[in-house]
Amino acid sequence: MDVSLALFWAFAAVAVAGAVGVIVMRQPVHSALFLLLTFLAVAVLFVVAHAEFVAAVQVLVYAGGIMVLFLYTIMLVNVRRQAGEPYLHRQAGVALGVGLLLLAVVGGVVLGDARRLADAHAAAPAARLTEVVGSGVAAGNSQAVGWLLYREYLLPFEIASVLLLVAMIGAVVLGKRTMEKFD
Amino acid sequence: MPTTPFSPLGADLLSTLVFLPAVGALVLLFVPDGARKTIQGIGLLFSGATFAVSVLALLRFNPDLVGSEAFRSLMVDRPWIPRFGIRYLLAVDGLSLSLVLLTTLLTLSVLLVACGQKIDRFKGYVAAFLVLETGMLGSLVALDMILFYVFWEVMLIPMYFIIGIWGGKRRIYATMKFVLFTLAGSLLMFVAILFAANVNAQATGIQTFSLLDWVPAALGGAWGLTPRSEALLFWAFALAFLVKVPLWPLHTWLPDAHVEAPTGGSVILAGVLLKLGTYGLLRFALPLFPNATARYTPFIAVLALIGIVYGAWVAAAQKDMKKLVAYSSVSHLALVVLGIFAVNATAVSGAVVQMVGHGLTTGLLFMLVGVLYDRRHTREMADYGGVASQVPVTTTLFLIATLGSIGLPGLNGFVGEFLILGGVFKVSVLWCAVAATGMVLSAIYLLTLVQKVFWGPSTVAANRGLTDMNGWELAGALPLIAFVVILGVYPAPLLNLVKNSVESIVQVARVRMLP
Amino acid sequence: MTFPFPASDLLVILPELVLTQLALGILLWATVVRKGREATLAWVSIASLAAAAVLIPVAARLSGPLPRAAFGGMLTLDRFSIFFKVLVLLATAVTILFSLKFVGTSSYPGGEYYALLLFSAVGMLFMASGTHLVSIYIALELMALSQYVLAGYFKRETKSVEAAAKYFVLGAFSSGVLLYGISLVYGAAGSLDLGDVARSLAATPRSSLLGVGIVLTASGMLFKIASAPFHVWAPDVYEGAPTPISAFFSVGPKLAAYAIFARIFFVGFGPRAGDWAPVLAASAALTMVVGNVGALLQQNVKRMLGYSSIGHAGYALLGLLAYASGTDARGENFGLWAILIYLAAYLLMTLGAFGLVVLLEAKGYATESVDDFNGLSKKNPLAAAAMLVFLLSLAGIPPTAGFVGKYFLFSAAMKAGWPSLALLAVLMSAVSLFYYFRIARAMYLVEGEGELRWREEPAVAAAVAVCVAGTLLLGILPQPFVALAKSCLLP
Repeated sequence: MDVSLALFWAFAAVAVAGAVGVIVMRQPVHSALFLLLTFLAVAVLFVVAHAEFVAAVQVLVYAGGIMVLFLYTIMLVNVRRQAGEPYLHRQAGVALGVGLLLLAVVGGVVLGDARRLADAHAAAPAARLTEVVGSGVAAGNSQAVGWLLYREYLLPFEIASVLLLVAMIGAVVLGKRTMEKFD
Repeated sequence: MPTTPFSPLGADLLSTLVFLPAVGALVLLFVPDGARKTIQGIGLLFSGATFAVSVLALLRFNPDLVGSEAFRSLMVDRPWIPRFGIRYLLAVDGLSLSLVLLTTLLTLSVLLVACGQKIDRFKGYVAAFLVLETGMLGSLVALDMILFYVFWEVMLIPMYFIIGIWGGKRRIYATMKFVLFTLAGSLLMFVAILFAANVNAQATGIQTFSLLDWVPAALGGAWGLTPRSEALLFWAFALAFLVKVPLWPLHTWLPDAHVEAPTGGSVILAGVLLKLGTYGLLRFALPLFPNATARYTPFIAVLALIGIVYGAWVAAAQKDMKKLVAYSSVSHLALVVLGIFAVNATAVSGAVVQMVGHGLTTGLLFMLVGVLYDRRHTREMADYGGVASQVPVTTTLFLIATLGSIGLPGLNGFVGEFLILGGVFKVSVLWCAVAATGMVLSAIYLLTLVQKVFWGPSTVAANRGLTDMNGWELAGALPLIAFVVILGVYPAPLLNLVKNSVESIVQVARVRMLP
Repeated sequence: MTFPFPASDLLVILPELVLTQLALGILLWATVVRKGREATLAWVSIASLAAAAVLIPVAARLSGPLPRAAFGGMLTLDRFSIFFKVLVLLATAVTILFSLKFVGTSSYPGGEYYALLLFSAVGMLFMASGTHLVSIYIALELMALSQYVLAGYFKRETKSVEAAAKYFVLGAFSSGVLLYGISLVYGAAGSLDLGDVARSLAATPRSSLLGVGIVLTASGMLFKIASAPFHVWAPDVYEGAPTPISAFFSVGPKLAAYAIFARIFFVGFGPRAGDWAPVLAASAALTMVVGNVGALLQQNVKRMLGYSSIGHAGYALLGLLAYASGTDARGENFGLWAILIYLAAYLLMTLGAFGLVVLLEAKGYATESVDDFNGLSKKNPLAAAAMLVFLLSLAGIPPTAGFVGKYFLFSAAMKAGWPSLALLAVLMSAVSLFYYFRIARAMYLVEGEGELRWREEPAVAAAVAVCVAGTLLLGILPQPFVALAKSCLLP
């Protein structure tokens, strides 16, 4: 087993464990910290996949910016340990069963087929990189992302900007304390 | 296809016939609710004009034409949804024309009677009957299966309201039951229509819903149906129609619907809607699926025999006049079904004559019960008794209708029953014998009804002030009485009118039955 | 750096561009409009939608012969997309009409509300023409995000908030499933462009990876059109959301979702049609049963319409299934054709029915019960007659648009070799009649108690009248529309 594969498995396990931690913990701060763990583990996965730029963005935006906001919010609104009955407790068993079943099916299929496909397309990413950036330019990871984002995926990128605007409007509309305007 | 200009009294006579009542209903939309005189005028004008148009159609029709030629004389054939071979195809033969006349006559009578009675939301009542008339006439003259299905469903809505709005105490239950029974049947038929169209398209390469194309293809064996799929298709069609008839054990909606329906609703229900079931069997189920017809004839015949005896037996036990007449319909219509499934010219002509005859007599019986109900608001036989002296005219007419219904020679019921029994006799003596007992029972319960209501001592004080039929009611009932007598004494014109269509249906259906 | 695509590609998205600009303008303008004068914003929003609709043919004319691919295959402007774009704009405009008083008399601001509707419309316009899984997904999210906010817009109503939360959580989950499915498809096919995906699928042997990818994508799509087993959100959201928004949800997003469903599965996964058809068949059967039987038990009209729209989604799935059996002898794709006709009919009758629910002023928020219709035929015969037309159409009784739509769908299923599903669909239509007629019963057969409260809103009444006319016209003379739909099929 080569190193990158070992790294992948290790950090994938950490990411999943972190995600489970987020929903299991009763203290919001603990949940937030587990979320941070997941973000970082995913960032490592990006590095393993040679997506260094995405990994950096993951750390800066998610593990940095978004986490800080979360923690601030938790501190400001002073959320305490969740009281009372656990939410949807009765469905937990069923959910776990269905989830595991889905995991088994999807996991089995992906493990079986993905290896075969990966071997078949082993050379694909590098070839794609040259194709995108052009042979004359030094192929850097962030450069490739930039080229793709602002050339090939220009339209989805622009639609995403509208999407973010809508998200912002939504946050303002739903978050504003009083709805009465002017009068 | 070149579209010819519309000529309402020429080539498009049947379109006029079908849509004239609907136009009347549209006109009514613009009349204020309170203007009862105007509403009466419009209702009578349009239903009268429709009757006139149907008579005109009868005069134009040539009963001597045979087979599919018969349809040509008044055919209207225009594209409707040409992409799918759906046509606006209207045509009549002797069979449908006789029922068209019955429909237009009964609708006119019902509206005449309604003019003489107190009915709330009168405008809606008249409009519902006019829309219903369009649906019934359309179902009778449409030969494109999709068009037929459209009209078939159109009938459902006004009937739903007629029972539901102007009905008795349990009207909502009754109307829902009526709608669900009929709809379940007709939706099955819809699937069967689609399936058959698909079979036909695959077999012949032509996408069409025209019965005139289907029957030759089905008969020539071009459809190539397996016995199983033919049986399924046959039952999908037959069930839709047998529910409407209604054949025992599918009849349970009928007594409820009849009892709760207002007078006009009962008249049309018994007079026309039930006949559309038997009409559908004759027009669609038998010619399209002769093998399945042959195979299931014994089964359906047994159901019909049970229906004849059961209907008569239950009718004899009723205390409610309307229920009694309703169960007598179950019994009489079962006899018609038996005649149809005897599949010979005598029995089938008898069945058609009996359809018309039953429409007239049972329509009359319901109408006259309605007259009494309008005065006294009760249908219990026990609440009457000896009213003959108060209402001599009603009594006379009721007696004639009863005798017609029983099948007294000289009145129209006799001709139909006699022909049916004669035709059935050729197929099975046993069937004939069982059916005949039903006839005997019908004489017993109907005469008991007359005896309990009209003769004997007048014991109920409330009947003292009972008034006889008024002019409107008489105007509605007399034409029906006239036809009961005329068709009993001289049935030849009716027999002549339906002879060729019956012949061709029987021929088509028997091709496969003979070994 | 220069613009990487031909400048005329911008013309292809001219309607979307203009609509986005106008929505932004409305958002800005709203900051200076007083509460109570917001009707102007609504009318300007409607005008913006109309402008977008007018620009669609202009875009089609200017940008070159159809179908016209743009942005390196991210989008394709074809008659199929134009069909959906027009319907979606219509649905949004009618929703704004329905909202006029609803928002006007509430204490919530109108500007953001209308702007969100317009942004949602932009998302749907992009969905209609998306031919690349990334552009489709982003457009879908743009639409969905606007809707999450709209569902909870009346945030002091507990039910509205609950609806929004449920919609958001389940919607985000389904988006995740969809995205995961897309990623597996990418793994197997090596591309996200639908044309490339199809070529790749045709060339490579079957793989279970792809199978799971397609199933997960289908699950995501089934969620968006509210089909079983991913339908549970619909009745709650319809009940809790403001009525105009419920009307919008049951039409606009569903139409757009059907557009991408059809496009992804026909164009992209077409070569594997035989594999995904059974999955959709199972879902269609389950959806028809769950929707119609569920509706039987409802007293709340909005919930009932919610369940009934689940049932309708099930019928429409028959059209997708019919595709799987390939073209018929004439080389026609009957299935998609039937979907187009049915969806147009569905739009007319559903909007019409919701319009009447809007007009029938409720006793309180989200408590519209069937009993509210009691005695409507006496107090407002025209409204009762209009509702009757919609109910008949929804139940598929001729001569209405609903019948024509069902006729096409069921015969498509029959032709495609699914007679048992067509039979089930017909049986479920019979069941549906039972609950639709409960409203007819209330209107015509039951006496109303006390005063019937009725909103006087000429604009909504006019919209309803147009829906009635359309429902009847499509039912009686379907030929011109059938021919039009034929020209809008995917190649």
